[in-house]
Amino acid sequence: MDTATQRKWDAASRNFDLFSYGDDQRLGPHKRELFAKIRGETLMVAAGTGNDFRFFPPGRSFIAIDISEKMLERAAKKAATYRGTIDLRQMDVCQLEFGDNTFDTAVTVCTFCSVPKPVAGLRELYRVLKPGGQILMFEHVRSRIGPLGVFLDLMTPLSKRLGPDLNRDTVGNVQKAGFRIRREENVYLDIIKTIEGVKDRASSAA
Amino acid sequence: MIFTIGDYLAGMLVGAATAFSVRIVVWPGMDMVIAMIVGMALGMLVHLVVGLALGPLIGMFEAMIPASLIGMYGGMFFAMRDSMAAGSRTLQAALAVGAILGAVVVAGVRFYDRTLKGVVIDTGE
Repeated sequence: MDTATQRKWDAASRNFDLFSYGDDQRLGPHKRELFAKIRGETLMVAAGTGNDFRFFPPGRSFIAIDISEKMLERAAKKAATYRGTIDLRQMDVCQLEFGDNTFDTAVTVCTFCSVPKPVAGLRELYRVLKPGGQILMFEHVRSRIGPLGVFLDLMTPLSKRLGPDLNRDTVGNVQKAGFRIRREENVYLDIIKTIEGVKDRASSAA
Repeated sequence: MIFTIGDYLAGMLVGAATAFSVRIVVWPGMDMVIAMIVGMALGMLVHLVVGLALGPLIGMFEAMIPASLIGMYGGMFFAMRDSMAAGSRTLQAALAVGAILGAVVVAGVRFYDRTLKGVVIDTGE
């Protein structure tokens, strides 16, 4: 377990709901639309305080993991109000305690901006997904617009002390991990995106 | 609709606060290059404070991205004007120009967002 990352997010859990309130209100419909594509055995990575559970289709049963114990304590209250079953577990996405080919769908929300070794985490998700399985991601990434990209580069040393990196190439990282991009959509500028990847049936682990 | 209003109000606030802070620090006759660097630094500081304060209400990225452009470029612009004594004559006029610049930048970012928003790749599966 990456204890430094765990400590950072334990500390961030105190004000997480406050800082994400506006985003949840504004971006919720996009998340709901993405999560409607969930099928089969599902793993949610980085559940946080459980703010996104409400955007899942009702009646589903899924496992939600997070590296932070404090986040999961807060998520438990929201999991209890979900009209379905959520199994919360503390786990590092880079060291998943699941067997190969376990899940049909993996879901992430603003996760791979924070995982210190994003490609390693994505490769773990690739491993636990069944052939033909999908990864559904709602992520913020580095902008390709010149001044905005530079701004996000400049802000990252500050932002990563308290939370996420702002300049990740998550689409590229998804491909490096072996996934094929099925769909990519810009939600806000070219910074907030939905990304859908597929573990092709014929491919081997990257 | 409420977020649209919030975006514009946040941008106008950042613009006005940047113009105010530059007016306090930069004086007519100050070396323009130094004034512009100071203005940019002040604008970045203002955008961080106001952006973090309003982010929870209107969304962190929707608050911070326009605010960063207003703070960075607005700070340099206001500092250049003030160092040349070519800026607004009164503080009220400077605040109004700041607010107008903020609104214009927000409008530009929203327009750019509309052009970029949507599907980038879709294999149709």
